Amino acid sequence: MKKILIVCGIIFSFSTIEASEVSEWFEKESSQFLEIINNNEGTESENYERYKYFVNKNFAVKSIAYGLIGENIINKSSKSELSIYLSAFTDYLIKTIYKLANTSTSSLITLIDVDVKDNIYIIKSEISDRKTSANLYWKVIDTGSSYKIIDVIVENTSYFVTKKSEFNKILRKNRGSLEALTKEIRKI
Amino acid sequence: MIKHLKVILLIISVTFFQTTPSYANEEVSVSGISYDEIYDPIEPINRAVLNFNFFIDDIAIRPIVKTYKFIAPEPVEKGVSNFFSNLKEPIRTISFIFQGEFSKSFNSIGRFTINSLTSLGTFDLASKIGMEKNETDFGITLAKGGVSSGPYIVIPIIGPSNLRDFSGDVVEYFVDPISNNVPNREYIAIGSGLNERVEIDEQLEKVRDASSDRYEMIKSIYYQNRNAQLEEEYIQNLPVPKIYIE
Repeated sequence: MKKILIVCGIIFSFSTIEASEVSEWFEKESSQFLEIINNNEGTESENYERYKYFVNKNFAVKSIAYGLIGENIINKSSKSELSIYLSAFTDYLIKTIYKLANTSTSSLITLIDVDVKDNIYIIKSEISDRKTSANLYWKVIDTGSSYKIIDVIVENTSYFVTKKSEFNKILRKNRGSLEALTKEIRKI
Repeated sequence: MIKHLKVILLIISVTFFQTTPSYANEEVSVSGISYDEIYDPIEPINRAVLNFNFFIDDIAIRPIVKTYKFIAPEPVEKGVSNFFSNLKEPIRTISFIFQGEFSKSFNSIGRFTINSLTSLGTFDLASKIGMEKNETDFGITLAKGGVSSGPYIVIPIIGPSNLRDFSGDVVEYFVDPISNNVPNREYIAIGSGLNERVEIDEQLEKVRDASSDRYEMIKSIYYQNRNAQLEEEYIQNLPVPKIYIE
């Protein structure tokens, strides 16, 4: 019985350390994100570069991009097609975040809770400005060297699920052509 | 009598759709929730109605909402929102009874009593004393009773729904103790609708040009929000991408 309690204690302390590490990472990156949002002093291209750096550093872009098109499309596409798509998607993701951030005046992101399920950290936070607040969930993985975001859920709307249904629609309309999807996302 | 007949016909039609799958293709399915393909057999009609709704919104509703938001100070906006939300507490009470959620039902009627007596519902005192608002409606009641969502539909002026949720709205219209007992219930319905439009104004502005296909985006957002109201561990069970080495 004593041994079981010791083992449980060790497991619990490990998960607490991991949760506190991810919390620390989150606090640091979210404050950096707010700094980027609220800093409008630079030129448009300078601001864009800041977003680009932030997205490349903190998002699991390849996993999200590939997850959105699914295994079937990945398997039937050539390496160059996938590489062009990945580059277009990265640009698309940066632009989406850039656009959303430019229409918001958020002043605070507060960490509320960290949960772990199937090796994915679910970070619950609240984003607020003077008028309103919204629940913001981040699904994060530990790659060994850093933490990477795989999904962002605003209130109950998941970026991954929403984009997956949009991309599926485009792919179905174009008989699974990755080239057509790439063209479509470049238009935005 | 005709009123009751309509409700019965509606329930029959909903029961009929119980055999219809919510989703045609269940490629992504986690814990019973499927997200890939929403059952949408009348998509061309829905798309036309959505375009019509955006047109009406552009020429009539949006200017009203913008003017209201410009004129009304924040406390007034909040008070109006609380007022319309409070009017829905009695129907929430009934919905919770049908769902077997009796403590939530008591909470709803308690909230209605406290907020109506203290401020005609314009101030949410009940929340301040620990009686938090619980959202529900007849669509949720039907879903909890095992009725599947049926086809996705976009309703003129009102917006996205599905057969089950729309049926729930119609049932609510007939059994709602508030709107059944006030003169000119249409004004309350219009006021409530406009208030809901005001509440989603910022999100709607973002949806307008944030997507390659706003129809698909709105449909997905609608289903995600409804599923969140039905699933206990909704966020945890959402599908995630397979991990690739970056």
